[in-house]
Amino acid sequence: MKMKLTRENVIRWAPALVLLGLVVLFTAINPAFLSQRNLARIALAATPPMMVALGVTFIIVMGSIDLSMEGAVSLCAVLFCLLFLKLGGSLGAGAWLAIPAILLCGAFFGWLTGMVHVRLQIPSFMASLAMGFVGTGAAVLVTGGDIVRIDDDVFRALLTWRILGFPLMVHIAVLLVLLAWFIQNHTTLGRNFYAVGGGEELAHASGVNVRRVRLAGFALAGVFYAIAAIFQVARLGQAESVTGANLMFIAITSVVVGGVALWGGIGGVLNAVVGVLIVNVIGNGMVVIGLPNYLQDGLLGVLVIVAVVLSTDRRLVSFAK
Amino acid sequence: MSTFIKDFIDREVMTRRKLLLAGAAGIATMAVPGMSGRGQARAALVDPAIAWSYRDRASAYWNAVVSGGEAFVESIGRGKSDLVSLISEGSSEKSLADIKAFLAKTGGNCAIACDPNDSPNARPIVEAVQAAGGYISTIWNKTDDLHPWDFGDNYVSHMTWSDEQPSEQTARILFEAMGGKGGVVHLGGIAANNPAVERLAGLHNALKDFPDIELLDAQPADWDTTKAAQLMSSFLTRYGDRITGVHCAADNIAYGVIEALRAEGITDMPIVAYDGNPEAVKLVMDGQLLATVFTNPYWGGGISAALAYHAAIGTFKPSDEPQEHREFYGPTILITQADAAAFKAQYLDATPDYDWTDFWGPGNGQIQYR
Repeated sequence: MKMKLTRENVIRWAPALVLLGLVVLFTAINPAFLSQRNLARIALAATPPMMVALGVTFIIVMGSIDLSMEGAVSLCAVLFCLLFLKLGGSLGAGAWLAIPAILLCGAFFGWLTGMVHVRLQIPSFMASLAMGFVGTGAAVLVTGGDIVRIDDDVFRALLTWRILGFPLMVHIAVLLVLLAWFIQNHTTLGRNFYAVGGGEELAHASGVNVRRVRLAGFALAGVFYAIAAIFQVARLGQAESVTGANLMFIAITSVVVGGVALWGGIGGVLNAVVGVLIVNVIGNGMVVIGLPNYLQDGLLGVLVIVAVVLSTDRRLVSFAK
Repeated sequence: MSTFIKDFIDREVMTRRKLLLAGAAGIATMAVPGMSGRGQARAALVDPAIAWSYRDRASAYWNAVVSGGEAFVESIGRGKSDLVSLISEGSSEKSLADIKAFLAKTGGNCAIACDPNDSPNARPIVEAVQAAGGYISTIWNKTDDLHPWDFGDNYVSHMTWSDEQPSEQTARILFEAMGGKGGVVHLGGIAANNPAVERLAGLHNALKDFPDIELLDAQPADWDTTKAAQLMSSFLTRYGDRITGVHCAADNIAYGVIEALRAEGITDMPIVAYDGNPEAVKLVMDGQLLATVFTNPYWGGGISAALAYHAAIGTFKPSDEPQEHREFYGPTILITQADAAAFKAQYLDATPDYDWTDFWGPGNGQIQYR
């Protein structure tokens, strides 16, 4: 198949080109940027937000939004740590059970968000934001504001064991990206997300149970938030009620920068991956090239706008909301 | 006009009048002890009431302050409930109004410890206390031109905390561990926060005495563990092996730094922190941190009440004390690997038994203005 340099193709590949451009730019200023060790650092930093971004991509593709990730991740991280310690505090000694338990917990939390949205007919924006606060509040309640630490070397191998120079959790994250891509492209549920996002009325008329698809979407996102929580704990060795802080901004920004349209039906998992990488490359690169810190936040904002401008086809949009 | 409305207005006017009269009466009662007290320092009060005026008890910090106050009250043979809590809820007006009400109720026979909530509020509070003949010690908030020694004996003392000097101490410990040479990075708090500014200033002070140590970079990590981990790994790319020591503005930041280094297989980097959280104390004991700093709010709460009380009953006469006993920095306890275990046993595993008449021993010298 021959790729033509059409407008559609340029826009489809724009996020990847932005990423490439940034890498070239930062490497030109400081060649250490492209060293294998730095790439591993970027990948490691990107792993937890990547999981959150994958989860929220499914929701955004449906044309909804999920802002519950900070609360969901904090709660899952805290519960994971407490459960892990209760089950013996070592992965070998039965504490592995905490992993499936937390994935279920994440699914339940997401499902609950979905129920608030679908059953109570509250816009997903408000429902998920509120559920996020519930999650953070619950995390404060369980920990009493304290930090819960995990010191199991086997579990921490996710961070410390390197294969081909990259920590184990990065490899697992790659597999999970493939899984998410598979769900999106090769399952009924994945196709239904697009059907709902492309036109809810039409999907409904074609026999898609829109409510059930939405609930499944939120539950699936919840599972990915739980995975993000586990990675976050593996990375920092601790959980507290603010473990999920900042993930909302990074995840939503990444998804949009990657070219997933907030109005639904456009973009997908791979866009989210590129988006997360763009945001993390910017964050790392600005320090690596020695940009003064008072310029960093401002420049991040400008770069995000540029990336969005380049990677969305605004001809498809009649108005921005 | 309907009779209903007329009656209503009459009634309201009456209530207002009554209120004014009652108010005047109240002011008069307040003024009486004030008139007798002014100009002639009363020798001593007998069995004064004791109060703590603070924000609220929900935060761990203020909870520790008030617990210290209660411990002092129990130490003089009274019950916990004899410490009156004047809760300002973060409102300066309420703080002042509550203190005036307390002065009126006790007729000035009282000792008050107080955080005035904001700096300008300190003056009206201490003026009201002096007028009523009571005694007061303040912490944290007062304007620079307000001094206890300008109020005779009634404004007993003011205590606040400075982060600059302790941060300098941690930097020195760090530099010595680095062998007096090499490169250091600083991961700070939110750039505009006062503690963040002071903790970085402390590092700069220490750098002057170590010419062979280079400050490679200082950037804000926003008091956040995740951000600190990310920033540290970016520093590693930029400076690599040139980093031989890390100065953190908070324990939370140090946690992120330790994990970022662990991911790279670096376990022997000298790191110092600040705040004295229980987890950080443990890390000092484990050897992963060189030092952290604790500010002991429990002692601060107890000693402020004790100062006001003992001045009130005449144990000491504030105006006979030197200025460094009237305005001083609160204690900051440096926790190093040598004393972390002892610190944990003394402060975290059990509540220490303080000598509430050792007013100035643990303090940190007279407040300096710039």
